[in-house]
Amino acid sequence: MTEPVLSVRNIRKVYGDVVAVDGLDFDIQSGQCFGLLGPNGAGKTTTLALLEGMERPSTGSVLYRGGPLPKGYQERIGIQFQATALQDFLSPYDNLRLFSKFYDAPLPMAQLIEQFRLEEFLHRDTRRLSGGQRQRLLLALALVHDPEIVFLDEPTTGLDPRSRRDLWDVLQVLKDQGRTLILTTHYMEEAEILCDHLVILSHGKVLTEGTPATLIAQAQVPNLDALFLQLTGESLVASDEGAP
Amino acid sequence: MKTFKRSLRRTLAVLHARNLEYLRDRASFGWNLVFPILIVLALAVVFSGPPRALFTVTVVEGQAPDMLAFPGIEAVTASEDKALARLSRQQTDMVVSESGGTVFYWVNGNSPSGAILELILKYTESRPLERGQSDGEAIRYVDWVVPGILGMNMMYSALWGVGYVVVRYRQSGYLRRLKATPLSKFEFLSAQVLSRLMVTLTASALVFVGTHLFLDYKMVGSVALLGLIALLGGLSMITLGLAIACRTESKEFADGLLNAITFPMLLLSEVWFSLDASPEWVQAFAQLLPLTHVLEAARAVMLDNAGLGDIWLHLAVLIGVCVAGMAASVKLFRW
Repeated sequence: MTEPVLSVRNIRKVYGDVVAVDGLDFDIQSGQCFGLLGPNGAGKTTTLALLEGMERPSTGSVLYRGGPLPKGYQERIGIQFQATALQDFLSPYDNLRLFSKFYDAPLPMAQLIEQFRLEEFLHRDTRRLSGGQRQRLLLALALVHDPEIVFLDEPTTGLDPRSRRDLWDVLQVLKDQGRTLILTTHYMEEAEILCDHLVILSHGKVLTEGTPATLIAQAQVPNLDALFLQLTGESLVASDEGAP
Repeated sequence: MKTFKRSLRRTLAVLHARNLEYLRDRASFGWNLVFPILIVLALAVVFSGPPRALFTVTVVEGQAPDMLAFPGIEAVTASEDKALARLSRQQTDMVVSESGGTVFYWVNGNSPSGAILELILKYTESRPLERGQSDGEAIRYVDWVVPGILGMNMMYSALWGVGYVVVRYRQSGYLRRLKATPLSKFEFLSAQVLSRLMVTLTASALVFVGTHLFLDYKMVGSVALLGLIALLGGLSMITLGLAIACRTESKEFADGLLNAITFPMLLLSEVWFSLDASPEWVQAFAQLLPLTHVLEAARAVMLDNAGLGDIWLHLAVLIGVCVAGMAASVKLFRW
């Protein structure tokens, strides 16, 4: 087996009296689409922030290829946050240009514009973009420096079914390019289609992990929705529509 | 060298983006230019008539002359230096000071009011008199208030344009997005400072030239020196704004903090009126405010043709505010 690209070793993150993440341990293989699932407050976003290096664990460690997160780690990762505002009055073109300048070897803008189909709204004020257009732009910004690992925090939340499927197509292309994708999602269908490996969290702890097929087979349930219900007593399907 | 070039590239990219955002926000851009011009115009109209028919006598020290009890004569107190400076600008009609039983008085040779007051003094005062003179042309209120309005506009533009904007970026999550890039705090803050400095200096220069075209206010000093005052004044206000914004997460709280800083400066830095008649502790407190130093230096240059040697202390204070503000901002800043 190859060396994992990222590993977490017994990490814990505490904010005051609140234990957001409580002793997680798992590996993420290179080129894998890795899914973090869990109900609201399970610690998905905190775990993602720890993997991104945006937060430091209270105890435990996050390892990149077996060592501590290296200097310049941010140049190797791309992040699409759950809710990201952009500067007012700037267009997708202005934003691509701005973010390209942050890196030494950005991808050609024309390639990003084509890959994420930004042409039709390239010079529109970003405040006037639809949800799907906005997510495609944010993904392009996360990919501007051609990172090997891409973090996606609930990338399709709030999108209509068609925009969601459009974005799945884009993510599939990224997978095919061999990038490591790490995503959180509320949608079991999304996890089943995109993810090679899943970790299901509840109250900051790992409930179970494995490939979607293995998890379904082991639990003897028809699908991930049923598995999730069995493990957490909660159904994500009902909460999908109310998600922000 | 490579690191410097990379850092410069990122800083300039953020500077460019911030400038685009500002220039495309036409309402805000227009208001920054139009507002001070409207104020100057309004003041020019309000104060365009003849000066008020009221004598003002400034008392420096000792027992004041009896004539100050006459109706129509207003008495204020000030130090000798300030009083004589006001007399030379005809902002007061006479300066008096009593010492050892002798009444010393000064009048402006160009002021008819001073001549009348001198006659009244001679007829009403029994103590020995000694005369002095401090000549100079009259200063209209508009001449005096234009530096105040330019400074006030600079203060609002700098403090809100940086402080409020950075807090807005933080609240919306934009700073968190930038944190996930190689952009450093120093690069981000430098770009904000440079962008707002460009805006502030350009707006001040346009208002300065624009109002001069139709008001012909007094400007006898060096334009370059006035530019240096504007540069340091703008920088000091911008770094103050950054220091306020470096950790604040709520726009409402930032609004309150910015008001808490701007309101005392608006009242006590002599934007609209002189503090000569105010208690000494108020005048001492005003010296703690950067806008006071901007305006005292600007008026000295514009009205009295002061040189660098005359205003260096004001400039030193402003440089101190800039250094302290930027150091605190970089040290304390959170994305």
